[in-house]
Amino acid sequence: MSGPRLKLALEYDSTSRGRHVRDIVSELKRQHWVRGALIVAADGFVIAAELPGTIEVDSMAALAATLGRELETSAQRLGRPSFCTALFSADDGTMFLAASRIGYLVVLAEQQVNVQAIRGALAEAVGLIDAAWAGEAAG
Amino acid sequence: MRLWASRGGREPQTVPEALRRAEQRRREGRDAEAAALVARVLELDPDNLHAHLLAAYLHVARRATAPARQEFRWVLGHDANHARALLGLAGIALEEGDAHECRDLLRRALRFYPEFPEATALLEAVRTREAAPPPAAANATAAPRVDRLRLPGTGRALIIGRADGGLIASQPVADDAKDVSEALARTLQLAAATLGRAGLGPLHRAIVEDDHDAVFTRTDGDLVVSLALPRATDPTQGLLDLNRLWSATLHELGLAAGPPAAAPSSTPADTPVDRTRRVS
Repeated sequence: MSGPRLKLALEYDSTSRGRHVRDIVSELKRQHWVRGALIVAADGFVIAAELPGTIEVDSMAALAATLGRELETSAQRLGRPSFCTALFSADDGTMFLAASRIGYLVVLAEQQVNVQAIRGALAEAVGLIDAAWAGEAAG
Repeated sequence: MRLWASRGGREPQTVPEALRRAEQRRREGRDAEAAALVARVLELDPDNLHAHLLAAYLHVARRATAPARQEFRWVLGHDANHARALLGLAGIALEEGDAHECRDLLRRALRFYPEFPEATALLEAVRTREAAPPPAAANATAAPRVDRLRLPGTGRALIIGRADGGLIASQPVADDAKDVSEALARTLQLAAATLGRAGLGPLHRAIVEDDHDAVFTRTDGDLVVSLALPRATDPTQGLLDLNRLWSATLHELGLAAGPPAAAPSSTPADTPVDRTRRVS
């Protein structure tokens, strides 16, 4: 990703984080063969989304958050490390899911998508979020 | 209701303003600040339903299930048909593996609010899960001879199961293989529902990575073959190994004609030949 510049946590004021998170979603959406992207909190709350109009955002977010939580709780029950990224490939496209400090990043892409490019973009997005929210104490 | 004196004009003056600001903080991913605002509201207005609901969400967001459940129940104690509280409790029930409770709560929410997309979507996912028969123990006669299924040199574990979570075979044989197979099935069912909601069609392959492993999975909706490899594994190579084991498994189960894969380097007919790391 070349969009949002990596900033230190202290550089963010109260309003810039909201804009920053929207920038991150926009940057993911700009990747080749990407149809849409969103960040959803673990409770299904949509933090930012850029999805095609054919997809109902709230229900998509609810399912993505439930899937993310299932991956986390399964790993916990089995005594294994929690997931970092997941990819689900279907007939008509691929869905990527990445865990971050503030929620799950979701990318919906065409079949032709370059998997490594999206994985790289997601890793960078998670890094940006971690850097920006480093000072945020657990609620 | 006035809450606290302004200091520099940035602090909320009223309960509604504080709650609005808490919502805004959530939208910015600033959950700790949102929680502080909600806690302050609840100190001053302990029966504020909106604040209890927000508190429940914030507990879910930080994976604190018990206090989240308590807050959702508090809301339902004051509004028995509160759709969002019912949805919240349904999510917790699903997380805890109680699909019946989840379905009942969602139906209750939809009875009063039929146009509730999140509840509808989750209910579809739960129905998918419940439509599958309960996992059965592996049938020794149907189990493939997994010793004939050669794991790649770096392979850590192989799980062969059914889409309902029933374990067919594992390599190496492990005590938790049945639990892994069931967890895998739950994940794939939710992933399939999510892909369906996104209009991407039926699920075929998955790669789930943690700090140590990359788990490559293939399914046709009935059979599930899952191979754990080191995280550093090239995705294309992982998928090649997975496809080889998929073909060999079909052969061992008598579901496909032709000889079993003989060596890790064998490449089944449906293996992607493109090396640009595309997986669909």
